[in-house]
Amino acid sequence: MKILVPVKRVVDPFAKVRPTPDGFGIDTTGQKFEINPFDEIAIEEAVRMRERDPAVDVTVVSIGGPECEEQLRKALAIGADRALLIETDRTYDPPSVAAELAALAADLKPDLILMGKQATDDDCNQVGQMLAAKLDWPQATFASKIERAEGSLTVTRETDTGEETLELPLPCVVTADLRLNEPRYIALPGIIKARSKPLERRPPAAQPKPRTRLIKAEAPPPRSAGRKLASVDELFAALKGKGVI
Amino acid sequence: MASVDTAPMGCSFLTTTPASTFAPEDFSADEQLMVATAEQFSRKEVLPIAERLEKQEEGLMPALVRKAGALGFCGPDAPEAYGGLGLSRALAARLLEYLSLNPSLSVTIGVTSGIGQVGLTLFGSEEQKRQYLPRLTSGEWIGAYALSEPNSGSDALSASAKAERRGDRWVLNGTKMWISNAKWADLFLVMAKTGGGGLSGFLVERGYPGVSVSREEYKLGLKGSSTARLVLDDAEVPLENLLYEEGLGHQVAFNALNLGRFKLSAMCQGPAREAMGLAAAYSLDRKQFGQPVASFGLIRKKFAQMAFLFYGAESMMYRTGGLIDSAFRREAGCGIDGNKRAAEEFSVEASACKVFASEVQAFIVDEALQCYGGYGYTEEFPIARLYRDARISRIYEGTNEISRVFMSSRWARRTREGRAELRTAGDSFLSELLGKAVAQPFDDQIRAGAISDLMMLGFVEQSSRLRAARCGGLQPALYSALLNWVNVRAAEAYQVVTGQAVSLPAPAPFDWDQIALAVLERKGPAV
Repeated sequence: MKILVPVKRVVDPFAKVRPTPDGFGIDTTGQKFEINPFDEIAIEEAVRMRERDPAVDVTVVSIGGPECEEQLRKALAIGADRALLIETDRTYDPPSVAAELAALAADLKPDLILMGKQATDDDCNQVGQMLAAKLDWPQATFASKIERAEGSLTVTRETDTGEETLELPLPCVVTADLRLNEPRYIALPGIIKARSKPLERRPPAAQPKPRTRLIKAEAPPPRSAGRKLASVDELFAALKGKGVI
Repeated sequence: MASVDTAPMGCSFLTTTPASTFAPEDFSADEQLMVATAEQFSRKEVLPIAERLEKQEEGLMPALVRKAGALGFCGPDAPEAYGGLGLSRALAARLLEYLSLNPSLSVTIGVTSGIGQVGLTLFGSEEQKRQYLPRLTSGEWIGAYALSEPNSGSDALSASAKAERRGDRWVLNGTKMWISNAKWADLFLVMAKTGGGGLSGFLVERGYPGVSVSREEYKLGLKGSSTARLVLDDAEVPLENLLYEEGLGHQVAFNALNLGRFKLSAMCQGPAREAMGLAAAYSLDRKQFGQPVASFGLIRKKFAQMAFLFYGAESMMYRTGGLIDSAFRREAGCGIDGNKRAAEEFSVEASACKVFASEVQAFIVDEALQCYGGYGYTEEFPIARLYRDARISRIYEGTNEISRVFMSSRWARRTREGRAELRTAGDSFLSELLGKAVAQPFDDQIRAGAISDLMMLGFVEQSSRLRAARCGGLQPALYSALLNWVNVRAAEAYQVVTGQAVSLPAPAPFDWDQIALAVLERKGPAV
């Protein structure tokens, strides 16, 4: 089984970010970058499938500049077999990413595209769904459990009303939620092994055609100080006074 | 890796300034990923169970060592042929630094991956290495190093443990004291006197007849680590477990310590890093007079001082790591003799690292505790533990006093052997002072110690200067602050040697607040 795992390079989710002075983006100078945590969960799941079945082959792919190699190497260190960098300096919105990944899927013919449900930088939560639509493949989003059967997957997904279990024929798209697994520590021997794993670069299949445009990025307003209340009655009165209840 | 000191020799920093030196900034992206794994391991697996480790809960520490071993932390710089990862010693030190956020863990891992293993790596026979190294590097076995005795600590050669050859085995008798890891070690590198009166090294398995471990010491700190006596009562050791040659055990013991002192400096840096981070977070949170205590000048001054001293220690120790790596590269393929030369070449630099880093650690944990005010004096906060844990650093693996005797006397000895020159380049205030100081006799300990201080300060100053010039950013400010501090200490040492006063050069300008704010923002070292 061939698994393709798209990996996004994002600003360290625990770092404080500031808008650029012109307000047209996020100031990334001096920031640390990581694999999008949901993508890391997807990589971990794919690698676990490979550890259970040596016939599984895991390819990770990033779309972006040469700096994305850092995250791809990390994915290889976790245990992916090969990496692919679609090299570009252009800005991609979710439909453009989905289009590029669809073109790649047509070429690589994976049985499963396993990816994070969303990226922690823009929180779009769109690419998996759009990709499945473009490929006309079945999809299961927000997966918290994946089980393999012959030619299909059984996926448990987290919904607002509880868990839902789906059966999907391969090929399909699955997006990972937080509770799918807990990614491992990257063992040093894995990092050394990753040095000799293949990392291929190729140009994008098509130029991105973003349909949305970033107009402004703003920091959230600073929180004003709270105040301490002595009793529940006081709290009740205060909330009433504000018209909250 | 950047070009480092070309064809460097031990003590050459005193007479020449290299074009460039190794610095933490030279670790590659995948090396940094390894370091990130070490930090994650510390933060997620070790720090949350620090209190349980303190109580020495049964089996907890050995299980942690096995976990660490599976990740590659028990033999990062051991040869790949024997289960190690063959990484550089500089990187192994960086890993150990981040495993030292909890010092009880790091002393356990530091010993099993360091002095409990390196004697075997450098001096072992093929058969011995094949038999024992993979077990140690995987974390399956834990190693220990047994040299000190009740009546022989710094005076290691006066050991009274004896080994006698009886038929097809060695029979060992004696008591070894303050043995780190004794409670859970599977293999001890034991030093004992043999027939000719010299020391010999033995690989002693815990299960050999006559080997036992007595009660745990009740220590001031490092309570999660094991320290106990190893008792050898007609202990039976197979003939083939003599390490290296009979009577040459002191070479094994001392060279293990040469490398051990370098690694120990990393084990001082890690807790200092953690203390600084904890104190920064606390000072931002704790309010007095309506504002965070981190906004007060005298608290900021502490952070700035912690930061530039940490920077100095870090610059010198990773430079030394690079130097030791270069010595091992140069001696690669030269067998045990090559290993000996490589381990010995930078013994002065390694001692300087140990002394300076342990004194910086002491300063940092002390000032970090001060930031906590009264709360710092309670066990409610982790800073008290870091304070207690730090005290041993100036004592073990060669006290700072014996190290101070060693540095200047080894410089003199290297000069007699034609491997150094007892002079300085004289290209800085400090170098000039040291040049004048060594022109005088320093045959008493007080003067010899002051000369060693000047050597150490010179090494710190030069290493930081070269790194700051290359890396820029906040580093030149850290260097300026450090330079002023170093010069004052140097003038003091010069006075001790010569009895002469000396006027200081004008201080380099720097901004206390700029450095302090970097520490507060990063909640850790300024760079």
